[in-house]
Amino acid sequence: MNPARGGWLILASLGCAMVLAIVHLPETWPQWLGWLRPEWVSLVVFFWVMELPHRLGLISAWLLGLGVDILYADPLGLNGAVLAGITYIVWRFYERLRMYSVVQQASVVFVLLLASEAVRMVVRDLAWDRGWTWGIAVPALTSTLLWPIVYRVLQRFRLQFRVE
Amino acid sequence: MSVELTTRLLEPVRSVLGTLLSPLVYVAETPYLLGGEVGEVVATRTLLLDQNKELERRVLKLSKISMRYLNLLNENATLRELLGSQARLPDEALIAELIGVVPTVNTHQVVIDKGADSHVTLGQAVIDSQGLFGQIVEVDQYTSRVLLITDKDHAVPVQINRNGIRSIAGGSGRIDRLELENVPVTADIVKGDLVETSGLGGRFPQGYPVGYVDTVVVDPTASFAEVIIRPTAQLDRSRHVLVIFTNPGEGS
Repeated sequence: MNPARGGWLILASLGCAMVLAIVHLPETWPQWLGWLRPEWVSLVVFFWVMELPHRLGLISAWLLGLGVDILYADPLGLNGAVLAGITYIVWRFYERLRMYSVVQQASVVFVLLLASEAVRMVVRDLAWDRGWTWGIAVPALTSTLLWPIVYRVLQRFRLQFRVE
Repeated sequence: MSVELTTRLLEPVRSVLGTLLSPLVYVAETPYLLGGEVGEVVATRTLLLDQNKELERRVLKLSKISMRYLNLLNENATLRELLGSQARLPDEALIAELIGVVPTVNTHQVVIDKGADSHVTLGQAVIDSQGLFGQIVEVDQYTSRVLLITDKDHAVPVQINRNGIRSIAGGSGRIDRLELENVPVTADIVKGDLVETSGLGGRFPQGYPVGYVDTVVVDPTASFAEVIIRPTAQLDRSRHVLVIFTNPGEGS
């Protein structure tokens, strides 16, 4: 069997995640809704590294992060470092993570995303004097709540197209 | 990261990556672009007629103003000639459409659909139909990124239209307010004053409206007065903006 099978699905899911990451709400809606935006890219990266650690590595996660930097107008390299960090930790424990129930996985997602949001906040504060806030827990929380859905959907596609 | 924050070495890298990723920005914006199209197709007849009437009224009003403007322009040029100062050339503008908003909370940046292929360059001023909007901070091949005047990193040299007091209007991080920096407590600024760009510093052309003074808090013990401005530009609503091409040789 072709070992590089189904790479398009991985790319497509990452592309969708990036589009979801920058879709904005209608201008008439209240601005604070922006705080609820889940970290789509991190969730999708988490899934693929956990399921197929040999397909998505540190370098590709870092390159992907450069793209996210552009979309978010962050300093180049910030999201690269964050995504590479997530990738490393998930890669280190992927065998254990696979055995977990979805709820346990979600709690790992929460801890990882809270840590990555904290890193982002510190760097943005150093770069642009944005200040610190507890608001960063909100995207981590919404992402955690979405994890079961993301997991089921991506797993369904992965099995359907036999991405290995 | 620090390389980018302290130098400009990575600007070309950003611009190439931005060009590669611009299709994603368009995809994310499709609901709104499509929504606009569909809205035009399914609009009712009466709605269109109303709109038409309203637009005709506005054209009439604006053409009256522009006639007057031409007159004043000539007069102004003659007077300037008499005074021996350099003639001021009109600015040219490029119409651009907003195609995306940077999602990071607390960052006020938008993406417009004109880039290096339309000769947009770094640092150009951007206005909408009501007033100053922001400035170009990143130019990609087909798109560019605009920093809004309310972003915490933004500041623009301004003057009070009524009496010419100069100051700097800094962004507050909130979409509906700017703050005048380092205003002495004795300065003659009152609520309702029009604040416009002063043209000092050379980045923004002179005379575009920035906002109206909303509140002035004078605390006698403080060294500076606190002046809040409400921007005239519709920073969170405008979909069409103008990129200003300032003619070289402008002076006053």
